[in-house]
Amino acid sequence: MLILIIVAGVLILWLIISYNSLVLKRNSAKKAFASIDVMAKKRYDLIPNLVAAVQQYMKHERETLTRITETRARATSGNISDEEKIELDQKLSRDVSGIMIAVENYPELKASANFIQLQGSLNEVEEQLSAARRFYNSAVIDLNNAIQMFPTNIVASAFSFQTKKLFESTEPERQNVDVKSLFN
Amino acid sequence: MKTLEDFENYFLTSLSTDLEILDKRRRLIVKRFLILIFAIFLPSIAAFIFTELIAILVAGIVGSIILYFFWVRDKLFYNDFKSQVINRIVNFISPALSYNPNGFVNLSEFKTSRIFMTSVDRYNGDDLVEGKIDRTEFRFSEIKAEYKTTTTDSKGKTRTQWHTIFRGLFVIADFNKDFTGSTVVLPNSFGHRFGFLKRIMGISRREKLVTLEDIDFTRQFNVYGDDQVQARYILSTSLMERITNFKKKHKNNIYLSFVDSRMYLGISHNNNLFEPKYLKSLTRFDVVKTYFDDLSLATGIVDDMNLNRRIWTKQ
Repeated sequence: MLILIIVAGVLILWLIISYNSLVLKRNSAKKAFASIDVMAKKRYDLIPNLVAAVQQYMKHERETLTRITETRARATSGNISDEEKIELDQKLSRDVSGIMIAVENYPELKASANFIQLQGSLNEVEEQLSAARRFYNSAVIDLNNAIQMFPTNIVASAFSFQTKKLFESTEPERQNVDVKSLFN
Repeated sequence: MKTLEDFENYFLTSLSTDLEILDKRRRLIVKRFLILIFAIFLPSIAAFIFTELIAILVAGIVGSIILYFFWVRDKLFYNDFKSQVINRIVNFISPALSYNPNGFVNLSEFKTSRIFMTSVDRYNGDDLVEGKIDRTEFRFSEIKAEYKTTTTDSKGKTRTQWHTIFRGLFVIADFNKDFTGSTVVLPNSFGHRFGFLKRIMGISRREKLVTLEDIDFTRQFNVYGDDQVQARYILSTSLMERITNFKKKHKNNIYLSFVDSRMYLGISHNNNLFEPKYLKSLTRFDVVKTYFDDLSLATGIVDDMNLNRRIWTKQ
């Protein structure tokens, strides 16, 4: 009888600890996602400046610039899901890096002090965004491991914890790196 | 950055002829030293054999005269060595750098780095180099930081022992990104893993462990930071790779930290660098080369860590 009570006690204790650690991991993944949001907002704030700085020079990139403005407007409108946020975020990365490549064709713009400063700020935000994404990924990997590994997977499925998707380095981001090296 | 080939050229065309004079003095010092040993040794034997007061007296006088000359001359040689060899190599690497043989990175800067948490009881150093390479300001010196332990045995006798916390080159450089707070990168050795216990018990003053994705890097280093995102902002994938390569190149233990937009780097070393070697000729390239190697190891950090790459807001 005593043995049964002890075994049950240990089981309950283990259940509590596992459940709490899962919650902790889920929350830290949420927190990490919020930090991406913070950095993304910083970038949204820079977009109007970028558009204003380049549009008088850039004749052939009108379309891209309009798209950037639209994407920003949608992303800042609120009421969008996390998935949509990620998608807009990546779209914006792609278009902004496209603009940065196109700048090469406008030496006058490239040399303007205003633009150089803006470029620095954008690079910085881009780097911070990538840091936030990496943090999010490490938190998600931690959570996913706990959800899928034995024995915590039992607790996870009982309380329906769900794995989260990782941010994958997309093509535009890889291009981004190339762009930065152009300015060396 | 100056290469070893550049330095060899400089050595052959200009430095070696000037060092010949200095090397003559070095040989003289070695000779004097041998004479000194004989001068003390022979009268001592004489004194031992004759046990006469006069012999002891003569030995004492001869010995102290030679010792005096040896000491004074040696001090002069030492200073000239620092200014003619080390200073010239520093200026060769970059004229924008200045060298102070007696200066060193001070204790408060060492503490600010947060690399070593042990409280320091004895601290000194020498060979300070400072200046600006392109856009990056930096300074480094040799330092030695120690702590002491005092034990009292059963007879009431106290014994003090000194233990080294860090000995080697300590570099402080302006980092190319702006940030506040601290991120510390320590070698992944047993001592630090043991510190994990302290952390989960909440008695460590260390920042939180940061798990990074670069496998090669995490195998060699543990990262602690007070801000998870910022630690990743500083330790970009390319910087992690650069740190791993730097470690591969130099083998010694390295310690890094990033505090308030500055980078601190300690490279541990067991011997005193930038000192004259009395038994080796200064006219030999391989002897002088070691000074160049050690100096360019420290000045090369700016390039190794790509600190002149200023594509962010910090200029």
